[in-house]
Amino acid sequence: MRERKKISRRAFLKTAAAGIGGITLGLKGIEASAQDKTPAKAKPARKALGVDVIKLGGQGVISGAHADYGWQIQGGATLAIEEINAKGGVLGSKLELKFMDEELKPAVAVKNARYLATEWGAHLLFGVDSSGSAMAIGPILPELDRICMFDHASTHRLTEELVYEKGIKQIFRIAAPVYQEGNLAAMIFKEFPNIKRWAGIHCDYEYGYSSWALFKDTLKKYRPDVEFVAIAWAPFWTMDFSSHISAVMAANPDGIHATPWAGEGVMLLRQALMLGVFDKIQAWFQCMGASVDILEGISNEVAAGKFKDKLWATARYIHNYPDTPENKKFVEAFRKRWNRFPNYSAENAYSTIYVFKAALEKSRSLKTADLVKAIEGMKIMTPAGERFFRPEDHQAIYAVPGGRVVKDPNYPIPVLGDLKVFPAQAYYRNPPFEPLKMGK
Amino acid sequence: MIPPGEPDLTGSPSFDIEGKEMETLAFQGLVGLSVAMYLWLLAAGLTIVFGVLGVLNFAHGSLFMLGAYFAFTFYGLWGVNFWLAIALSLVSVAVVGYLMERFFLRHIYNQDHAYQLLLTFGFILILDDAVKIVWGGVAKIPPMPSFFEGTVSVVGRPFPVYNLFIIGAGLFVAVLVWLLFEKTWWGKMVRASASDREMAGAIGINIPTLFTGVFAFGAILAALGGALGTPVRVVAPGIGAAMIIQAFIITVIGGLGNLKGAFVGALIVGTLSAYGILLFPVFELFLIFLIMAVVLMIKPQGLFGS
Repeated sequence: MRERKKISRRAFLKTAAAGIGGITLGLKGIEASAQDKTPAKAKPARKALGVDVIKLGGQGVISGAHADYGWQIQGGATLAIEEINAKGGVLGSKLELKFMDEELKPAVAVKNARYLATEWGAHLLFGVDSSGSAMAIGPILPELDRICMFDHASTHRLTEELVYEKGIKQIFRIAAPVYQEGNLAAMIFKEFPNIKRWAGIHCDYEYGYSSWALFKDTLKKYRPDVEFVAIAWAPFWTMDFSSHISAVMAANPDGIHATPWAGEGVMLLRQALMLGVFDKIQAWFQCMGASVDILEGISNEVAAGKFKDKLWATARYIHNYPDTPENKKFVEAFRKRWNRFPNYSAENAYSTIYVFKAALEKSRSLKTADLVKAIEGMKIMTPAGERFFRPEDHQAIYAVPGGRVVKDPNYPIPVLGDLKVFPAQAYYRNPPFEPLKMGK
Repeated sequence: MIPPGEPDLTGSPSFDIEGKEMETLAFQGLVGLSVAMYLWLLAAGLTIVFGVLGVLNFAHGSLFMLGAYFAFTFYGLWGVNFWLAIALSLVSVAVVGYLMERFFLRHIYNQDHAYQLLLTFGFILILDDAVKIVWGGVAKIPPMPSFFEGTVSVVGRPFPVYNLFIIGAGLFVAVLVWLLFEKTWWGKMVRASASDREMAGAIGINIPTLFTGVFAFGAILAALGGALGTPVRVVAPGIGAAMIIQAFIITVIGGLGNLKGAFVGALIVGTLSAYGILLFPVFELFLIFLIMAVVLMIKPQGLFGS
């Protein structure tokens, strides 16, 4: 069995190598022939935007334990591009995607952005999973003269500081920021008078700092009686959270607010179960716990009732909300194309492409300044609901509920139930932004 | 023992650090000890290979990762018995270790250290990409065997049965490795060739074969660390790289090539970072580097280095 597998793998590698070589040669051929033809043959119909293809440069993490997020960005964007191209593209021009691995490293993300904009010739940029990467890309966008639509990186500082304060107009964000992790969680749990002692287990970087700061800040406003009794910071790529969990449990919290995401989130929840945490506490808010990869990862435990209905979560979009034809159509198309449920980063990327389409059609221009004007103040229907791009900070305003992680017979994986829906205006921070003390 | 699924009503509802300092410290220490055991298994193989072969194997973490992937495949995918799955994973990684040493490392023993670094670093990239091709880039989540579920009460707080098992397994391996090197003929040959390679060769020890065996043994220890983690962790490309830095710190603290040093170093790093998280959450990351710096200042060759 093993032996056979090895041989077939080698054969596979050979074929793959030959295939890649072939594709590269093939592409070169096409490029060459296109170049040969263009001057000789006059185009019968001039494209409105003056180009055959509109190049979209995307980025996300597609390696390591968090790779599913980049994969979902790629999956969502690809689906939208295929749909649009099948209907003739945008104003007659086809969309083309190049997707790169940002590795969650700001330096890599900046290098990729430069490459995509200047060498590959991307007209528009989007993506990025890491907040650190987003904060590094933002400031170079004016120099690159490109828009970047951030569809996952969630630090509030991207829109509050870089756009609202510093005025970097090329930054837009389609995804709900850490208002989801911090403010929404506070809105939900202010209604639970018995949960008074909160502890945090958080990522030891920007994302964890901002989520915990916003949660504390908002909850304290509504509930002066709550205490924040313990905090444990987990560095990126923590394999064992046992020490973090037992440290905060020593303070006997009623509730735990946690940010580790992707595979780390699954590990954290499994290890918390092992340590009997759900026998002791009343609620656990796993911020991005409604992401499809986490729901898949804890599916058996949810089905067995191990979380005792105490596990809460949200995301930047959940596939079972809102109940609209747009959302149903998207979920169906995504499942058909990729045989999985769409994660929030998939919806955010899918909608990004449609926002680009709307902006290009509205401005009939590829100029960054025109596109910025077209997106500012745009209202657009997307699977996640109607999004409004707030002109002050370029943040898309739309509401995503939080809820309990439950097993639903209609779905093969757990979903959010007992949904708590708040209007976006009620829980998003609004300009002018008060500065927020954050950090360790 | 509290059966899983039953709320623990015996535990004091107002458990707090105040007035329970000793209990809190004892519990945190025990949790740290279980974390230390994974680190020990990883550092043991690293230090043995360095002590005997003189090779600093950067790809040691990749062998840890492969151990986890093989265990996941046998147990999580093919439904093989948990213990058999771990045994099969160790054998599989031993084979990988054998191939690495026999066909690659063997040729660079006499070369400059830079070549070893390049070669073993190259293996990290190759093995990371290989697992992506075979298993895909998405993290795998192997199930927990049901007989390990549940907790026992330690100072009034629930402690996982599995973590107790890990502590036992780590100590068991420590004793086993000690017996192997101190009490067996093979161990004597290994120690002889570690202290004087040429002389050991001259009295008839087949050095190349012995080295292959030692490397495969180190690979088995790494794989054991990876495989034992599967029920509570995730399996993903890059988990080896995430662990290897700590393993290096441990071997440096304990003394490169010293087995006792690796054990003590793992205990120090595992328990002190657990205490750091509890007592100094803000400086926790910095703490183990501080310990390493202090050890290097006082004893540059490490605690047990010579």
